[in-house]
Amino acid sequence: MVVPIEETSYELLKEYIESLRQYFAKEEGRNEIINDIESRIGELFQERLKKGATCITDDDVNAIIKNIGRPEDFENEDGGEPSAKASEANSNSQSSYSHSQAQFEWKGKRLYRDENNKILGGVCSGIAAYFNIDPVIVRILFIVSGIGLLVYILLWIFVPGSNALVNGVRKRLYRNPDGKIVGGICSGIGSYFDVNPWLIRALFLIPFITFFFRWGHVGPLTFPHFVSFTFSPGTFLIYIILWLVIPEATTTSEKLEMKGEKVDINSIKNSVIEEMKGVKQRVGKMGAEAGSFAKERGAQISQEMRYAARNTGSALGNVIVTLLKIFGYFILGCLAFALIVALFSIAVVSVGIFPLKDFILNNGWQTVYAWGTLLFFIGVPVVGLITLIIRRLARIKKANRMMRYSFVGLWILGIICFIALIASVANDFRRTSSIIEQRVALTNASVPFLTVSSIDNNNYHRYNSWFRFEPFAYFDNDTAYIGNVHVRIEKSATDSFQVGVIKLCNGSSRRDADTLASLINFHVYQADSVLMMDRAISINTTDKFRNQYVELIVYVPVNHKVKIDKNITYNPIRFYGTWWHDNDWDNWYHEDDYYFKYGETYIMKRDGLYTLDGIPANKENDYRRNWDEEYDDNTPLTNPENYRYDKPDKLDSLTNEKQLQMQKLKMSIDSLKQVKQREDQRLKDSLNNAKEKLEQKIQNIDEKAAPTQAFIPGNREYNLLMHI
Amino acid sequence: MNIDNTASQMRKGVLEFCILSIIKLGEAYPSDIIDKMKAANLNILEGTLYPLLTRLKNADLLTYRWVESNSGPPRKYFSLTEKGAEFYNELETTWQQLANAVDEITGKKN
Repeated sequence: MVVPIEETSYELLKEYIESLRQYFAKEEGRNEIINDIESRIGELFQERLKKGATCITDDDVNAIIKNIGRPEDFENEDGGEPSAKASEANSNSQSSYSHSQAQFEWKGKRLYRDENNKILGGVCSGIAAYFNIDPVIVRILFIVSGIGLLVYILLWIFVPGSNALVNGVRKRLYRNPDGKIVGGICSGIGSYFDVNPWLIRALFLIPFITFFFRWGHVGPLTFPHFVSFTFSPGTFLIYIILWLVIPEATTTSEKLEMKGEKVDINSIKNSVIEEMKGVKQRVGKMGAEAGSFAKERGAQISQEMRYAARNTGSALGNVIVTLLKIFGYFILGCLAFALIVALFSIAVVSVGIFPLKDFILNNGWQTVYAWGTLLFFIGVPVVGLITLIIRRLARIKKANRMMRYSFVGLWILGIICFIALIASVANDFRRTSSIIEQRVALTNASVPFLTVSSIDNNNYHRYNSWFRFEPFAYFDNDTAYIGNVHVRIEKSATDSFQVGVIKLCNGSSRRDADTLASLINFHVYQADSVLMMDRAISINTTDKFRNQYVELIVYVPVNHKVKIDKNITYNPIRFYGTWWHDNDWDNWYHEDDYYFKYGETYIMKRDGLYTLDGIPANKENDYRRNWDEEYDDNTPLTNPENYRYDKPDKLDSLTNEKQLQMQKLKMSIDSLKQVKQREDQRLKDSLNNAKEKLEQKIQNIDEKAAPTQAFIPGNREYNLLMHI
Repeated sequence: MNIDNTASQMRKGVLEFCILSIIKLGEAYPSDIIDKMKAANLNILEGTLYPLLTRLKNADLLTYRWVESNSGPPRKYFSLTEKGAEFYNELETTWQQLANAVDEITGKKN
């Protein structure tokens, strides 16, 4: 049924029906009653229209209202009085008088239980009506302060009940269904105290965060135990309790109450219009105009709310709220900052590792996992954060629910990928290869002196100094060099140098590891008294990086010298082994037993390696030496008590060795020269002979033949000889 | 003391009884009931009547049916249930007793 009606008349009508609604708020069949009345009004409208009116006017509406009657005129069970002294039926009026309660008047306010507003016994509602605050607050205080069931029951018994209490509270605590993430509690609380709901959420989340931190042992940031353990389940419980106790603001008037605005026809109208606009926004695209409109409206409403809050709150309350605000913002800021930093650093690192991907990962599932991890686990939070920031800046209220779910879903997928990736890669590194030593044949094993140096390869010098991903020393598109090469010095059992090479590798099974270990490219050869070895292990993309490790053992015979050059290796850190100690290496190898200093010459004695000054080669001595060097330049480098052999002898023997070598070289050079000279002489002689023979022949020819200007090969020969 | 208050209390007491008696005479819809009450000089507002009717219906004393009308929305026609009839009889007895007692006390009846 369509009824043409003037706008003002419509307003009047709306107001009237709203007042009826308020009046019948507690009535059981409220909706039915209102429907009946509305039907009746419709009937009356029809009558008027039939009588010839084109449109319903204010007069019509007023007449009808008079006909049906105003709520205060009704004679119903819960007391309307036809007297003009009755207060408005609007339950949000500021009146503090209750309706005609008993046969006598009273001065001042009495404490009653509110029978209309009760959950259990109406005790809290009554107290709230007495103090003019929201009964929800009273209930929460009751529960939290632990006053106790007994007190409640006592109050229930002794405080009389009333049907006609009116609570003059203006701002009520509701759960806000519009801004909710879980239950709208933080949003409602935020609205009540006029703070940003995210602060409240931060406050709720603090115990959980400390829980997490404690778990992670982040240095000075460990909160004390009791905070996390008692507060986090407690906070959870509090949240649940609040969810149950605080009612949800469903109707427009309740929402206005939540924000603390005056509930009358204008504010209801405005908020309904706003909600409609809000619906439009949600349904339509989020344009810039929507954003700015929301901003305007938001600013306006927040200003109004602030005024309202200032008026209703006390000074102390404001101070507390401000303090909590600062605290909450701080926590929130730290949280957000830490999250963002962690996220971006993970993203950067993973992108940086990316070139190495081919060396580490097998094809197939692992690559899939890696991509999945990168995209979902890392990418999704980054994208989500960016959208969140954009959304906050544009002040767009409602987050698309589908987007949120899809983000979360993708991120969970990313987590799964990440876990799968780690598991899969760890599997490939699970086992270590057996420790087998291969002997390297030396071309001249009886040199008195051996220097171990690295094969100079230009590539090695070009490694990135800013990005070191241990143990990768250098890599380019198809080869990577792993600097897991180490040298060890041991005593030789024989009189000559021996060299052993141990190649080790990880793999998914022992056999796999052994296979991979045998594939390691490592070159070592001798050039006179220098042992040349590869500086790093090269791998390409087919044999993947599996923590390959090469150890070169130089067996030095007694009384022979050895020196390890400084350019042998990039990093002295050993990377061999697995995370869980199931390898033989740990049992077999003790680093400190085989200590030596790079670039230093040592001599092998019967009981170990000694420097040329007679100090045994171990870490402690070196530390002491460095220490002495720093502080005392004048004292001799070595302690006389540590002498085992006479100093001059040592030097002499060294120079002797050198001289011997020089002599040997000279001798060999001389002998070579001699040999060469002899050969030259022979050549000369033979050529001379040939020349004489030829000259003789020429003479013969000359005697025989005519004096032709013959070609004189002799000259030529002679010239040739000259040039020899 | 307020005369309107007391008068209102008195009216409130008998309203149910009157309404039930009107409906007892025959099916009636709210507008009708109001007209009849007005004819008998007992004015009642619609806003008072509707809740009352609803309450009586919820108490199973009344029942209704919808009747379509061409001049407006459908109307509810109320009628007494069995329980309502019994209730009415009791009320009537009560009223009679009350009326007699009051008459006697106020000296109207000897």
